[in-house]
Amino acid sequence: MTELGGPSRAHRWLAAAWLALLLVVAGHNGWLWLGGGARLETDILAMLPQNRQDTAAQDATRQLADAGARRVVALLGASGWNDARRAADAYAAAIGASGLPLALRYRIDARESGDWLGFYAGYRAQLLGDDARHRLANTPVPTLAEQAAAALFQPVGMPRQGRWQDDPLNLYGQWLGERASQSKVRVRDDRLSLSNGDQHYALVMLEQQGPAFSVSAQQAMLPALAKARQAALAAAPSARVIEAGIPLFAAAASTQAEREVHTIGAGSLLGILLLTVLAFNGVRPRILVTLSIVAGLGCAVSLTMLLFGKLHLITLVFGASLIGVAENYGNNYYAYRLGRPAGERWAMLRGQRSTMWLAFATTAIGYGLLALAPFPGLRQMAVFSVTGLFSAFATVLCCLPFADRGEMPFNGFSQAVGNWRRAWPRWGRNRFTILFAVCAAVICLAGLVRLQANDDVRALQNAPRQLLEDQRRVGELMQMAGPGQFFLVSGASPEQVLQREEALKARLAPLIAAGKFAGVQAISDWVPSESRQTADRALLQRVVFAPGGVLEQAAGLLGQAMPSPSLPPLRPLTIDAWLAAPVSEPLRAQWLGRFGTGYASVVMLRGLAGPAALPALAAAAPAVAGVRFIDKVGEISGLMRHYRQLMTWVIAASYLLVLAMLWRRFGRRAWRALLPTLLASVLTVALLALFGQPLQLFTILALLLILGMGVDYGVFLLADADPRAFLSVTLAAAGTLLAFGLLALSSTPALAAFGLTMLLGISLCWLLNPLFTPSI
Amino acid sequence: MKRLIASACLALLPLAAGAADLASAIGQKLARPAVLRGAFEQSKQVNGFAKPLRSRGVFLVSRDKGVLWDTQKPFASRLRLTRGEIVATQNGAVSFQLSAAKEPTVRMINELMFSLLGGNLQALDNYFAIAGGQDGKAWRLTLTPKQAALGKVMRRIELSGDQYVRAIVIDESNGDSTRIAFSGQSAAPATLSRDEEARFD
Repeated sequence: MTELGGPSRAHRWLAAAWLALLLVVAGHNGWLWLGGGARLETDILAMLPQNRQDTAAQDATRQLADAGARRVVALLGASGWNDARRAADAYAAAIGASGLPLALRYRIDARESGDWLGFYAGYRAQLLGDDARHRLANTPVPTLAEQAAAALFQPVGMPRQGRWQDDPLNLYGQWLGERASQSKVRVRDDRLSLSNGDQHYALVMLEQQGPAFSVSAQQAMLPALAKARQAALAAAPSARVIEAGIPLFAAAASTQAEREVHTIGAGSLLGILLLTVLAFNGVRPRILVTLSIVAGLGCAVSLTMLLFGKLHLITLVFGASLIGVAENYGNNYYAYRLGRPAGERWAMLRGQRSTMWLAFATTAIGYGLLALAPFPGLRQMAVFSVTGLFSAFATVLCCLPFADRGEMPFNGFSQAVGNWRRAWPRWGRNRFTILFAVCAAVICLAGLVRLQANDDVRALQNAPRQLLEDQRRVGELMQMAGPGQFFLVSGASPEQVLQREEALKARLAPLIAAGKFAGVQAISDWVPSESRQTADRALLQRVVFAPGGVLEQAAGLLGQAMPSPSLPPLRPLTIDAWLAAPVSEPLRAQWLGRFGTGYASVVMLRGLAGPAALPALAAAAPAVAGVRFIDKVGEISGLMRHYRQLMTWVIAASYLLVLAMLWRRFGRRAWRALLPTLLASVLTVALLALFGQPLQLFTILALLLILGMGVDYGVFLLADADPRAFLSVTLAAAGTLLAFGLLALSSTPALAAFGLTMLLGISLCWLLNPLFTPSI
Repeated sequence: MKRLIASACLALLPLAAGAADLASAIGQKLARPAVLRGAFEQSKQVNGFAKPLRSRGVFLVSRDKGVLWDTQKPFASRLRLTRGEIVATQNGAVSFQLSAAKEPTVRMINELMFSLLGGNLQALDNYFAIAGGQDGKAWRLTLTPKQAALGKVMRRIELSGDQYVRAIVIDESNGDSTRIAFSGQSAAPATLSRDEEARFD
């Protein structure tokens, strides 16, 4: 019973059902976001294929990162220690006066360093360095005795703890010295300090208190630090201040993001509003189009949460880019409404429906193909995008006409824009075509020759250069172990973990000797395994303290009568005792404790010269049971490369499928709707290469979007020579450029790459499409 | 860690002082040759030892290169201090080595040494309260650690001499006491022999 000019009964039912569904979705979203049911995943490693091993790697990485996430290190340097000290005193005082919840670690009193040595003193007979162990086992006792005696006459030597007769070879002093040499930080004048050549630095460590990752707390630090810097320079004008730490990066990133959201976001919103008002004589169409997009996003979030249980931040960001595509449907509807009485809208919609379906299907296919990829992250993106697109599309088809009222005159602005299409030259046997083909070919060739890919996740860092430079400098000066690469050591018991660490260190010794890296930072350096402690004590007893041993012979050489020596009883140094003592503070985060079904620790690497050493390190891990080498930076970069390559294939396959669909509708003319987009994409990649921009995952993601949108333009233009078709395309393109093209101005490299690709690609799609479609 | 380092510095101080010149207040009296050679005799009373340990040997201080300290009796051993390194050898084999690359304090120790050699009391002043007196050509200084941490290792250092440092007495906090007497100091020849040169390289 279809009444001409009105909605069919089926349409009414469909619209009501869809509206009801949207209300349910809105309720679900409200519960998710307001009720705290939404779990937003931010770890990029969560996008990797899941298996148990990677969960362990992720947990380990996270635990390590959490430990460093609150800490800021400030180095106050000067050519004289007194200046450095004065600057640091002023700096620390200013931080203390700021009233912020920051724990200061700066002055170390004598009691604290006394505790440090005191902790180990009770275990000294069980602690041998690698060199000492080798020396005791392989040197004849008379030689050792002579060395022990001669050391008493030396004016300089390793400082000795306690009496000569308790440790004639000063093995404990040597052990302490070896521990000390793992760090360049020393206590000087009761302050933390380090020296590098002629420069002296005083160290101030700050730790944020209160909830971690609070953006406002991180940003509140910045003015306090700036004040502290001023105070330091006022106290010692020649001093230099170097600050580093994750909170600084986080604060810089959020400040920058806020600024960009404000400027870029405001700019694009204003532009889009202005365009809509100019074209459609009011904001009502804009509000309704926006509502259709909101409906799409809401459905996408609901379904993704239902299917996956959580939502990844990257999915959300990428999914939000649907706005650009979903715009096309609403814009198309309103463009065709122009100049028609409101009563005709149902008939108009029926006429447009097949074109819009085709436009939707060609876009959805690209996203749908993502679901075939063996990566949970891509699957999530696929579900999110297709759901979002479909829901926005369905909202436009079902509900928009009901909310649409009144006359919409085809105003001068809209007609002018629609008629621009006539200005385009036609593709065919003419001079323009030859010129264009030659230019395009030259650009493509020149660009593709220079094409390079870059998947290094470090290229995505968007921190200010000064901050990066300071971070590098602090890492270099303090010889800190980086969190990017490490060994994960696991075992059934703490003892087994420590034994495996020791086995691993033995494996790594040749690599350290070869200069591949400076050394390791491992718990077992500070708490040897119990079996090693027992063995070392037995060795010491046999070689040094037994009758006829080093002590007795050395005493003989010196002509001294010695009371019979005795070694203190074995009292194993346990990991629990160590963890409970202040001495473990710098390394505590490396003990992961109960981990999965057993225990685990992290062995970190100091002074890694560069990525050249990584394969050798990775090769060392499998030789010891329970040890894995984890290269987080490499893993993420590898992940990005994988995604990029996979997406490239997805795009290629999408082109073929889209062509097949277009063929069904347009037959032999189908290429006209696809070629402009293909050409635009290739030219975009070539131009990016000419600008020196490497190909990366975010470029490819943009190319998939460009395929979705560009083909829509082709479909609309090819289906209809009406100026309204071109108006709809132009508005959609302008909206997309305003929303995404402006991202090219972003200082976040990933967003800038995405934005620049969109800017070039969408502009070219808009420029090229009319060349291949009839204009009358 | 601090004590470790502090005692490393302190162990060097008497040597540096004895080898060349200390006093800048008294500095006028001291000769400051480019190369100084001499002999030493050391007597060390070690806590828990019945008899003092006696040793003797020769030493050389080069303002540019560093210090050589050769103990000859009762055990032959050699010690070399350069800008970046401290190395002890016994019977031709290295028995102890500390480099600035591994232990940054070595550089600080050297900084201190060179300021001692240059008669720069200011550097010493950071670590010690300095008291002393003079009588004609002769002088006497007592250095007392300023900081508690150093005081835990070293109670006092006494220096005495005329144009050269003639004696050092070090009282350690653990009760050990070392007395070093210098003799036969000479500033000639003012250049290093080829052998000496080679030992620094």
